[in-house]
Amino acid sequence: MNKVIEVKNLTKTYGKKATAFTALKNINLSINEGESVAIVGKSGSGKSTLMHLLALLDKPTKGEVLIDGIESTKLKSRDLNKLRNERFGFVFQQFFMNAGDTVLENVLLPLKIAKLPRGKRKKAAMEALKIVDLESKTKNKATDLSGGQKQRVCIARAIVNNPRIIFADEPTGNLDSATGDKITDLLFNLNKKQGVTLIIVTHDEDLAKLCNRIIRISDGTIISDQTVRKDLKKTASIKRETEAARVKKANERK
Amino acid sequence: MKISDLIKTANHNLFRSKTRSFLTILAVFIGSFTIILSNAINSGVNDFIDKQVATIGGDSFIEVFPAAMYDQVAGMMGGGGNKKVKEYNESTGGFLGANINNEDLKKMRAVDGVENLEIFHMLSTEWMKLENQDKKFDVSVEYFPEGNFNVDLSAGRMTSNETGEGEILINEDWLEPFGFENAKDALGKTVEIAVKQTAKCYISPDNCIASAKATIVGVQAPGILSMDGNLHINQKLDNELYNLSMEGVPESSIQNYIAVGNVDPSKMDEIHKEFRRIGYEFITVDDTVGMIRTFFDAILIVFNIFGGIALLAAAIGIINTLYMSVQERTREIGLEKALGMSKSKIFLEFSIEAILLGFWGSVLGITISMIIGYSVNAIAHSTFLADFPTFELVVFNPLNMAVITVIIMAIAFIAGTAPARKASLKDPIDALRYE
Repeated sequence: MNKVIEVKNLTKTYGKKATAFTALKNINLSINEGESVAIVGKSGSGKSTLMHLLALLDKPTKGEVLIDGIESTKLKSRDLNKLRNERFGFVFQQFFMNAGDTVLENVLLPLKIAKLPRGKRKKAAMEALKIVDLESKTKNKATDLSGGQKQRVCIARAIVNNPRIIFADEPTGNLDSATGDKITDLLFNLNKKQGVTLIIVTHDEDLAKLCNRIIRISDGTIISDQTVRKDLKKTASIKRETEAARVKKANERK
Repeated sequence: MKISDLIKTANHNLFRSKTRSFLTILAVFIGSFTIILSNAINSGVNDFIDKQVATIGGDSFIEVFPAAMYDQVAGMMGGGGNKKVKEYNESTGGFLGANINNEDLKKMRAVDGVENLEIFHMLSTEWMKLENQDKKFDVSVEYFPEGNFNVDLSAGRMTSNETGEGEILINEDWLEPFGFENAKDALGKTVEIAVKQTAKCYISPDNCIASAKATIVGVQAPGILSMDGNLHINQKLDNELYNLSMEGVPESSIQNYIAVGNVDPSKMDEIHKEFRRIGYEFITVDDTVGMIRTFFDAILIVFNIFGGIALLAAAIGIINTLYMSVQERTREIGLEKALGMSKSKIFLEFSIEAILLGFWGSVLGITISMIIGYSVNAIAHSTFLADFPTFELVVFNPLNMAVITVIIMAIAFIAGTAPARKASLKDPIDALRYE
C-alpha cells in the first residue's frame, strides 16, 4: 500500500516557555492512497492544527511529515510551494473565493500560480467545472452564486490541478443539509471514482461516518483510529486505473 | 504566477476599488503634471534661447574688449568688475584710452582656436531709403563675421562678400514702410544708407552726410534677438560706410573698442587665458543668455520642488491605499499562499500595484499637460506670440517624460515596499482563519 502521508512524532507547540501551549503531542500516523479519512474532534482539540501540518501550511515544532515519502521539513520554501500547488486541493468552510472575479477565474487560480499557459488553464478549469456541474456559470461573478454553488466552485478549484490529496475543512459547515449532501456526494465520488485521497476535518459525526477511517483527536492526541469499511480491494483496483489516468493527464498538460 | 499574470492581476485589483485608486492616482497626477508641464515650458524657453544663440553665431561667437574697458563696463553693470585703484598703464590707459590696436589684433588672431576676429565698427547711420524714392527711415546696421551665423530667414539668403557688392538683410518690419507685398518682393531691391561724416561736419555742418548703396539679399524672420532692429550688412558695406564716416579723421585718433569673431568653442578657456595675457577680455553668447537661462532654470527648480512635494504626499497616499488593500485582501493572500504562491510573488503582486498607481498617475499627468501645453501653444501663436511662428512656448521632450515616468514609478515602488512586505509575510493559516 502506498503511503501518501506519513507522520512521525509530530508535536506542535505555540508560544514560548511559561505561556507555551502544546496543540499536538507526539502524533504518529500514516494515510494510504485512496483512503477517505475524517479527523474528528471538538473545537480546540488540535484537529485543525493537524490538518494544517499535514497540508504543509504550518511547520511542526518537532517530528516529520512525509508526503509521498518526501521529508517536507527539509524542503526549500520554493519546493514546498510547488508540492502544495501540484499535489493538494483545498476546500474550506468559508469558501474563500475572490468575490469580484468570475467563477472561471476562481477555478483556474491554482493553475495560474503554477504558470500554466492560458489555453491549458482554461481547458482544465472547464473540465473541473463540468465535474461539479457548473459549466453554465463560468462567466458569472463568484458573489452571484448560492452557498452550495460556491462550495462546488471551490471543489472545482480543488481538483483543477488533479491533486493526490484533497483537504476539506468543515466542507458542509456553512450549508443546509440538502446542499451539504450534494457536496458530500461530490467529494466521495472523487474519492471513489478517481482515487483521490480525502482528508476531512469535521465535528459532524454523520459526515465522519461516510469516511472509511475516522481519527478522533482530543487534547492534542489521537484517542482512537478506526477503519470503518475495509473495501480496500475495490479502491485499490480503481486506484491503479486512476493513477494511470492521472499520470497520463499530467503528461498531457506538460 | 507569470509576470504578465501578476501585472494583469494587479491592474485588475486596482480597478476593484475604483474611487480609492482614482484618488491616489489623482495625487500622483498633481505631482507629475506640475513637473512635466514646467519641464516642457523650460524646454520651450531653452529651445528658443538655443535657436537665438545660433542666430547670433552660436557658441563660437565672442565679443572682445580691451581689459581696461571690460572692467569699467562690468563695474557699471554691477558685475564683479575690478574697481580697485590701479597704477596707470600707458598701453591700455583709462576707459576712453582703451583701444584695440592692430598689433594685438594680429596676436589674438594667431591664438590657437580663433577662426576669425574683426574690429567691430560702431556705425552711426542717419537713414535708409529705397533707391529712387525719397522717403527716409531711421536705421541702424551692424556687421558680424558670417562665420557660424545661422539666421532664420523668411526669404532670400545670408549676406556674403563674394559678389563684391554691398549687401543687407532687412527684417519683416521694413516690408510695409518700403511698400513690399511680401518678403520675396523685397529681394534684389537696392537701398541707400547714409552716415554722418564727423570730421567734415566741423567744417560744413550742412553738408556732411554721405551714402552707400546695397542690395537686399534676404529678409530675417522675427525673433527676440532681431528685435533690437539692427540690420545685418556684409563686410563690404560695413567698410564702405565706416570709411565714409571716418573720412578726414587722422588715423591716430581712431579708436576701436570692440572686436568680434568666431572661435572653436571647445578651446574657449585656453583662448580666454591667452587673450587676458595680451590684455583683452571677451564675453560669449553664453555669458549674455546665461542670465536668462539661470532665471528660467531657477523657476523650473522651484516648480520641480513643488512637484516633488506633491509626489511625496502622493507616495504616502500610495502607502495608505496599499495598506488598506492588503487588509481587505488578507484572505485572498492566504488562499494564494495556501495554493502555492511564493512570498516573493505576493510581494511582487503588491509592488506592481504600487508601480501601476505611479504609472497611471504619470500617464494622466502627461496627457493633461500635453492637452494644456498644446492649447497654450495654439493660443499663444494667435495672440502674443503671433510674431514668432518658430517659437513653441511649451515643448514636450519624449525622453524627459519617459525619465519622469520611470522616476515616479520608482518612487511608487519604494512607497509600496512596506505594504507589499506586510502582505508577503502574512501567514496563510492566520489569513484563512475563520472570523
